[in-house]
Amino acid sequence: MPEAVQDPALAKAFAAYAETRMAEASNLEVTQLARIHGGASRETFSVDIAFDGPNGRETKGLILRKDPPDSLIDTDRKVEFAAIRSMTGAGIPAPDALFLEPDQKHLGAPFFVMGRIEGGVPVNPFRIEEVEPHRQAIGEQFFRHLGSIARVDPATSPLADEIETPSPDACWKRELDYWENEIDTNARAPQPISKAAIRHLRRAPPPPAQRLSIVHGDYRSGNYLHDGAGAINAVLDWEMAHIGDPYEDLAWATDPLWSGTDMELAAGLLPWPEAIAIWQESSGCTFDPAAFEWWSIFASVKAMGIWISSARAYADGKNDDPILAWSGWFTHCAHELTLASRLAPKYGVEMPS
Amino acid sequence: MTDIGMILQKLGGTLVGEVVPKLEGDYAGGQAGMAGMMAVMAGEAWDGAADRLYREVEGMRALLAAGGVEIKTQPDSFKLSDLNAVRNTLADELIELQTRLETADDEASKALNTQIWGFLLAGAAERMPNPPQFEEETS
Repeated sequence: MPEAVQDPALAKAFAAYAETRMAEASNLEVTQLARIHGGASRETFSVDIAFDGPNGRETKGLILRKDPPDSLIDTDRKVEFAAIRSMTGAGIPAPDALFLEPDQKHLGAPFFVMGRIEGGVPVNPFRIEEVEPHRQAIGEQFFRHLGSIARVDPATSPLADEIETPSPDACWKRELDYWENEIDTNARAPQPISKAAIRHLRRAPPPPAQRLSIVHGDYRSGNYLHDGAGAINAVLDWEMAHIGDPYEDLAWATDPLWSGTDMELAAGLLPWPEAIAIWQESSGCTFDPAAFEWWSIFASVKAMGIWISSARAYADGKNDDPILAWSGWFTHCAHELTLASRLAPKYGVEMPS
Repeated sequence: MTDIGMILQKLGGTLVGEVVPKLEGDYAGGQAGMAGMMAVMAGEAWDGAADRLYREVEGMRALLAAGGVEIKTQPDSFKLSDLNAVRNTLADELIELQTRLETADDEASKALNTQIWGFLLAGAAERMPNPPQFEEETS
């Protein structure tokens, strides 16, 4: 059996810090601290605390997200924190954003703390069938929440204070420039498929964004929790959030890799017409096949940027978590094949039936 | 023993089947599971790696020649590192050739670009590892 407190030094430092941030708490102690597997973009710990509060001895479950030596995604924790706060009152089941600490003197690295969602079950993107018998209900919520995120006004959100807001016709270029640079900077070998895909996207840009929205950036199977009874109770992993075109999230959410490779169902959950209808209704956007096509190809390019950066961090010894090796190999190959399969027919290659 | 593929696959099986259960609930258990799974995949990939790279090199050389680009560089040996080095040189040239073809209007350029895409698609399919049996969270 693992220890209840796996890292006593971290637990002690965290208890001291948390007590300073919780005005009505005293005698605060960490009773459980365990690192959660996955989520290699930050070191994530599940923490139980106990403290003397206004109602006597109380307990609370927290999630501590601490910056690692290197991560899958090079983002500012302030952005993730602000994105979660931006969902307040929007009907999105996001965790409570509690503390943001940029100073590394407390735990050796910057970190932030969220309330823990109790009773949440993650969905493995490779085993989506495990949501049965609630696939329909989960699917409806999955696309409704996705649309609801797109409907939040970014201009008045906390996220707007942290990041730049592009013009509607510049969303695509900003994202493509960023991820091309990630690929060029981190690739350990030439990338003919990714580079051809990027040239293809630049030759035929998408229409301007119908509206500027908060883009979650990694909304997909694997990044939400459900209660096992048909309800999504948390949307997680907001570290790639930004302001942009809502089609970016729709395309990413329905990428084949997160869909159990079952492209008959959007995101492996719902028939496409139903999924699109729910997204349109909740987002207020009109579905445009041309925009969706562009952003779907872009989604695979973005994925390649993430996997290539992961492989670089692993190879350079900045992060030895095997999930980065996995990302740099299996998921890299999967998205390369997705890209080639999408693009080759457009250039005259006859695909096997 | 020289059967590296077999060794990797058995090491992976030991990690997943024997080590991981003893580390249940510990972060290291997830890491051991992931490492074991990839050891199995590496064992499967091992046998065909040099052959795949060799054919990739020859395929790119033929496409470049069809585009008027002659690369005389040959691998010094059939070591994977030597094959990879030549493969990367040729891949850079292929990117340049394809970029040129995309801006040309003639049918010959379009036809060669189609051939390149066919080659890229086939290579991507060949590199794809066999989907492993997932025992651990990978999200």
